[in-house]
Amino acid sequence: MFNLTDKKILVAGGNGFLGSHVVDGLVRRGVPRNNISIPSSKEFDLRAWENCVRVTADREVVFDLAAATGDLVLRTKIPGKLFYDNVIMGVQLIESARRAGVEKYITIGSAVEYPEQAPSPLKEKDLWTGSQSSVNIPYGFGKKVLLVQGQAYREQFGSHIIHLLPTNTYGPRERVSSGYLMPSLIQRIIDAKRSGTRFIDAWGTGDPVRDFLYVDDTVEGIISAAERYDEGEPVNLGTGVGVSIKELIALISKFVGFTGEVRWDRTKPNGQMHRIMDTSRAREKFGFSAKTSLEEGLKKTIEWHVNSSLAL
Amino acid sequence: MLDLTKKKILVTGGSGFLGSHVVLGLKKRGIPKENIFVPSSREFDLRVWENCVRVMAGQEVVFDLAAATGDLITLERSPGTTFYDNVIMGVQLIESARRAGVQKYISMGTVAEYPDTAPTPFREDDLWTDLAPPALHSYGVTGFTKKVLLMQEQAYKKEYDFDAIHLLLTGIFGPRGKDKYFMGALVKRILAAKREHKGYIELWGTGEAVRDFLYVDDAVEGILLAAERYDSAEPVNLGTGVGISIKELAGIVAKVANFKGEIRWDATKPNGTMRRISNTERAEKEFGFKARTSLETAVRETVRWYEAQKV
Repeated sequence: MFNLTDKKILVAGGNGFLGSHVVDGLVRRGVPRNNISIPSSKEFDLRAWENCVRVTADREVVFDLAAATGDLVLRTKIPGKLFYDNVIMGVQLIESARRAGVEKYITIGSAVEYPEQAPSPLKEKDLWTGSQSSVNIPYGFGKKVLLVQGQAYREQFGSHIIHLLPTNTYGPRERVSSGYLMPSLIQRIIDAKRSGTRFIDAWGTGDPVRDFLYVDDTVEGIISAAERYDEGEPVNLGTGVGVSIKELIALISKFVGFTGEVRWDRTKPNGQMHRIMDTSRAREKFGFSAKTSLEEGLKKTIEWHVNSSLAL
Repeated sequence: MLDLTKKKILVTGGSGFLGSHVVLGLKKRGIPKENIFVPSSREFDLRVWENCVRVMAGQEVVFDLAAATGDLITLERSPGTTFYDNVIMGVQLIESARRAGVQKYISMGTVAEYPDTAPTPFREDDLWTDLAPPALHSYGVTGFTKKVLLMQEQAYKKEYDFDAIHLLLTGIFGPRGKDKYFMGALVKRILAAKREHKGYIELWGTGEAVRDFLYVDDAVEGILLAAERYDSAEPVNLGTGVGISIKELAGIVAKVANFKGEIRWDATKPNGTMRRISNTERAEKEFGFKARTSLETAVRETVRWYEAQKV
């Protein structure tokens, strides 16, 4: 097992939602806080090579969570910029880490790397089955580029680069502005309850099934992988359990105490009907399985939303 | 139609085999020499962002032929370096071209972008029929990195209306070809065997593998026609559309070179993919390109050049 506690660690993207939780998780693991560096994107624009060199100098372990994501609208509007930012940051960071002699490099990819045609539950072996849908090119394909780079570096230089594919992660500190479904749903239901609105609007039919992973579990998966996994093949992080959007809204409504109606706009697309992760590789390779129930995770997340929107 | 004759043109990789022929082709087309800029890789290391910005300043049309190439052995040994060099050069060149306001960007891809599982003859629509990850060996990494550039070009088209075209070139041969590639190596070995009065040469595989070889003058014509007339983000094959077995090809080279010895096949060595032929309909339909040089003529020109090098 690779011991993280005496390592100098870089967490790129460590101020983001998932990144900040990874930092918390490392500290809980016993890593001294001052062994962890978190470059702010203002001070270190990682699109510039010199900054990649500066942030990786003297580092022994790198968690790369730096990413240009964005919601569907943004991905449709500025795919070129998002693609460039993801590729240029990731590719240069891996190269600068190699030159700095980094011992372990953990690339945080995404379930978005799976092509549309990949059968659900998503298995790592199906990652290359067909083409990426165009909205997923800037982020999903951008990250897939880093997977191939990591494998090529492992082959040539023996670099210890691993690549993880977390599903939708949710939890405290994920803001509505991220554009992701969970914080947006929770906030809308809280707002409806507060304002006494009798309904909320939602897209599609509510039938699509997704796999949501509570952030503490995602972090546990990432850190366990850093400690115990050292192969070039990517690994899914998920619960392996699906929940329909309809069920999800019912649960959130119950915990928030919202009793109004959900108005489904059936003219809007559902997206793919069923997308959950196959979690056998993570279990087999580094003993990871998600521990937090959806109910428990939702309660904690809702609590954070309630408190943080009160603070405003 | 884009009139190239009044444009400021950058040819990256313009000192290489294909690049030098593109420069020649541009001059034949009537572009004044002083309008063509060929940065040397010594002076401008294009893996460095600032150099991409410098070479791009004031350019209107870009032919990107910069690529980390190499023979099979080098590619086998250095997938990491091949990956990094190709991606970092290509991605930054496209971005710097966009910022410099380049009007047309011609990106040189490769037939190696097709997955091994794509049906042959290769059609552009089958570029994404992947069933497996890209191979980390041989030309797999090069192919994947060029596909990364295709993705970037298509995203730039959508967001910025950036006018990039992407050509999928088959194996190119001709005068000044590097002997690290199949055709150059074959010609060189047959000429050497003849000079040394050897009774035979030995080649890898069974000779049954079928390939699509494009003569360099035809490749250049295809590239220039595309630059002038094609204007879509969908990639286009450049090839002859005609397959020839390695055995037949070796026979033609031996005949042209007047080598009377025997060609032996070492069937214990790999053949590589058995059939790689490009479907050429899109190039013909979209910009009227069709390879014109006969294989015999092309081989004759190539052999003549190698003979003159006294290799």
